[in-house]
Amino acid sequence: MTTLPPLPMTHPKLTSLARQKLPCFPSTIPRSQLIKEKDDIDHYLEVNFKGLSKEEVAAYRNSYKKNICVDMLRDGYHKSFTELFALMEKWDALQEAARVRSLFWLQRPLEEQPDKLGHFYHHLTRAEAAERKEYFEDVYNNLYALACYFSNSEDKWVRNHFYERCFKIAQRIKIDGGKKEAEAHAHMGLLFEEEGQLLEAAEHYEAFHQLTQGRIWKDETGRFLNLLACESLLRTYRLLSDKMLENKEYKQAIRILIKASEIAKEGSDKKMEGEASYYLGLAHLAAEEYETALTVLNTYSKISIDLEDDLSLGRAYEAIAKVLQSQGNMPEAIKYLKKVVEIARNNFQSLDVMRASTMLGDIYNEKGYYSKASEYFQQAFDTTAELRNMRHVDETKVHYGIAKAHQIMLTINNYIESEDLTSLDYLLSWKENRSSIAPHPIIGKTLLFESTSFCVILDGCIGDFYFIGNFNYSLPHEYRMCLHAVLYVPLMIRKAGNSGND
Amino acid sequence: MDIICPLAVPKGRRLCCEVCEAPAERVCTACTVTYYCGVVHQRADWDSIHEKICQLLIPLRTTMPFYNSEEERQHGLQQLRQRQKHLIEFCYTVAQKYLFEGKHEAAVPAALHSLRFRMNLHGLSSVELVPAYLLLAEASLGLGQIVQAEEYLSQAQWTVLKSTECSYAIQSLLHRNLGLLHIAKENYEEARYHLANDIYFASCAFGTEDIRTSGGYFHLANIFYGLKKLDVADTLYTKVSEIWSKYLNNRYQVLSEARIQQIDLLGKRFETDTGLDEAQEAEAIQILTSVWNIRESTSDTAPQKTIFVLNTLVMLYYLMMHSSKAQEYAERAFGLAKEHHLSVHEQSTIQELLSLISAEETHPVT
Repeated sequence: MTTLPPLPMTHPKLTSLARQKLPCFPSTIPRSQLIKEKDDIDHYLEVNFKGLSKEEVAAYRNSYKKNICVDMLRDGYHKSFTELFALMEKWDALQEAARVRSLFWLQRPLEEQPDKLGHFYHHLTRAEAAERKEYFEDVYNNLYALACYFSNSEDKWVRNHFYERCFKIAQRIKIDGGKKEAEAHAHMGLLFEEEGQLLEAAEHYEAFHQLTQGRIWKDETGRFLNLLACESLLRTYRLLSDKMLENKEYKQAIRILIKASEIAKEGSDKKMEGEASYYLGLAHLAAEEYETALTVLNTYSKISIDLEDDLSLGRAYEAIAKVLQSQGNMPEAIKYLKKVVEIARNNFQSLDVMRASTMLGDIYNEKGYYSKASEYFQQAFDTTAELRNMRHVDETKVHYGIAKAHQIMLTINNYIESEDLTSLDYLLSWKENRSSIAPHPIIGKTLLFESTSFCVILDGCIGDFYFIGNFNYSLPHEYRMCLHAVLYVPLMIRKAGNSGND
Repeated sequence: MDIICPLAVPKGRRLCCEVCEAPAERVCTACTVTYYCGVVHQRADWDSIHEKICQLLIPLRTTMPFYNSEEERQHGLQQLRQRQKHLIEFCYTVAQKYLFEGKHEAAVPAALHSLRFRMNLHGLSSVELVPAYLLLAEASLGLGQIVQAEEYLSQAQWTVLKSTECSYAIQSLLHRNLGLLHIAKENYEEARYHLANDIYFASCAFGTEDIRTSGGYFHLANIFYGLKKLDVADTLYTKVSEIWSKYLNNRYQVLSEARIQQIDLLGKRFETDTGLDEAQEAEAIQILTSVWNIRESTSDTAPQKTIFVLNTLVMLYYLMMHSSKAQEYAERAFGLAKEHHLSVHEQSTIQELLSLISAEETHPVT
C-alpha cells in the first residue's frame, strides 16, 4: 500500500501575516497598531486577490443606464449626459402618454436595451470630444451615425432628434463648402415630409437644391446629390400641388408645378422634366385651361418619344386624350386613345389597355355608336378577364352590359313600334331563347346577342325584374354602376314600350 | 454660567457635555437643561447654535407636565414631536449656512444637535440621519479632519445601503460629500466617480438643469481644472454659470411680472428676493465667485465668459438686495466689455443692469 505524498501546503503571505499578528498576541498591542495591521491586510487582499473591484460591484448593483450615465459624467461628458437624460425622459413621457390613451406600448424602455445605450455612449461622447476641439465634421458624423442607427420605425423620434442636431451642427461646418449643410437640409426636408408639413419640407429641399447646384457631390450610394435634391423637391412640390388641387386652388398649384418643371429642366434629367410637365398638364386640365395643358402635354410626349419610353408616352397620350375629350374634340381624342391602346398592348400593360378601351367605349357610347362602343367595352372586358381582377371585371362587365343594351334597344324598339305579328314572333322567340334577335328588316343589320351575364340584366329589365342577385358585387362602386345600368335600361325599354302602345 | 459638581448629581443620573459627551461640570444658566464639560465647549456651543435655541430646548428636556386625560397626553406628545422636527430643520439650516460661509468650527455643534434630535425622533438606523452625518462630514472635511469625515461618511453610506428606499436627493448629497472627501484625500479617480454619481442622482431628483445639480458640476470642474484638463473644466464651468444665470434671470422675470401685475397703491417698495434659502444663497455666492476668479485669469482670451459670470453675479447680488456689490461687479463687467471692444448688444445689456441697480439705489430702503 502506497501512501500518497502529502499535499503541498501553501502558506500564502496572508496566512503568515495573520498568524504573525492576529490571534495569539496578548492585548498589549495598542489600538492604533491594530488598525494599521488591519489596513495592511486589507491592502494585501486588494492587491493579491482579484475579487470584485468597486466598479464591478457598481456595475452589478446598479442599472446599466446609471452606469452609462456615470461613465459619461466622470470623464466630463456632461453634454452627452444631459442629452441622453433628456431623451430618456422624453421616452418616459411618450410611454406615459400612450398609457393614458391606453395604447399598447410595444417598445421596451431604453434602459432595457443595452446595445442602444452602448451606441449612445459611443457616439455621444465622441461627438462631444470633437465638439470641444471644434472638429465639427466629426461631431456631424457621430450624430449622423446615431440618427442612422435609430432609423427603424419605432425609434423615429430619436432619429428626428439627431437629424435636428445634425442640422444645427452642419451650419457651423464651413470647410467642405456646405456639403454637410446640404445633407442636413435633405434630412430635415425628409423629416418634415414624413410629418406632412410639406411647406417646411419644400423650404429645406429648396435650400438643399440651392446648395448642391453646380456641385458634383455624391452620397454613399454614388448618386449625385443635386439630382437627389431635384427629385425630392419635385416630389414635395407634387404632393403640395395635389393638396392644392384637392382644395381647388388651381392657380397656386400651377405656379408651384411651373417652378417644379423649371427645376427639373435645370436638373438636366429628361425623365424628371417629363414627369414635371405631365403633372403640370394635369393641373392645367383640372383648372380647365385646355390649350396650355395641350402644349405642356405635347412636350411630355416629345420627351417620351426622345427617351423611347413607351409607358410614359402612353400616359402622355392618355392625358392628351382626356384634354381633347374635355374640349369636345372627339375625333382627335379617339385617335390618341387608339394610339394608347396600341402602345399599351405592345407593352402588355393590360390595365392601360382596359382604361383606354373603356374611355373609347364611353366616347362612342355618348355619340351613339353603340356597336363600336360595345366592341371596345368587350375588349376591355376581355383584358380584365385575363387579369382575373374581380373589381375590374365587374366594372367592365357593367359597361359592356350597358353598351349591349343600347345596341339591341333600337331593334327591339322598332319591332315593338311596327305592331305586326311577325315582329311579335321575333320578340317572343328572342324571349324564348335569349341568344340573338333577328335583324329588323328596316334597319337591316345583324345583331348578335350572346347569352352572357348582361343578358340577365336585360331580361330582368324587360320583365321589370331587377336581377341584381346574379352578380356578386361586393364593392360599392360596382354596385352603383350595376344599379345604374339596371335602372337605366328598363327606363328606356319602357319608354319604347309606351311609344309602341300609343 | 454655573458650576456643578458631578459627584453631587443624584445617583443614576449622568450629565453629559453637550458637545463631547464627557461628564459635565457646567450648566447653562439661561435654560438650566444644557451641560458642558468646560468653558471652551460652552462658548463654542453658544456661538454656534445654543444662543438661538436656548429657550427652545427647555420643553424638550424637562419632563412632560402631568396631563389629566389621554387626549391631552397625545396632544402633548404631538406637540413635542413638532418641536423636535422644527429644531432638526432649524439646526440643519444653521449648520449648512455656517458651512457655506466657511465657518466649519461653528457648524459642528449645530450639526451635532441636528443629528441627536434625529436619533431621538427616528431611531439609530434611519435614513433621516444621513443629512446630519453629511453635514458633520463636511464640517470635519473643512476642519481638515479627514479620518473623522470618513467615519461619518461611512456611517452615512452604510445607512443608505441598508435602507431600501432612499430619496435621490439624499443619495446625491452623500455622493457629493464622498467626492469632496476623495478630493481632500487627493484620490481624484474615486472623487470623479462619486461626483458623477452625485450629478446623476441630482438629475433624477431635480432635473439636469437645476441649481441643486450645479454643485456636482462645479466640483467636477474643479477636479478637471486641478488636473489641467482645461477644456473639460471650461465646458463644465460654462454649464454651471449657465444654470445659475438661467435660474436668476427666470426669477427676475417672475418678480418683474408680479410687480407689473400688482400696482402698489401705497407706493410700498417691492421687495426682491432670490427665492433661495440662506444656504443656497451662500452656495451661489461661493460657486459664482470662484468661477469668476477662474475666468478672471483667462479673461484676455475669452472676455465674454468672464462678463457672463459677472452679469450672473450682478443679478444675484441685485436680487439679494446688495446694491453696492452689484454695482461694483456691474462696473467691472462694463469696464471689461469696453476694454475688449465687445459688441453693442453686450454693452447695452450691462448698461441695462447698471441702470436697474442705480434706480434701486435712489429709492433706498426706508
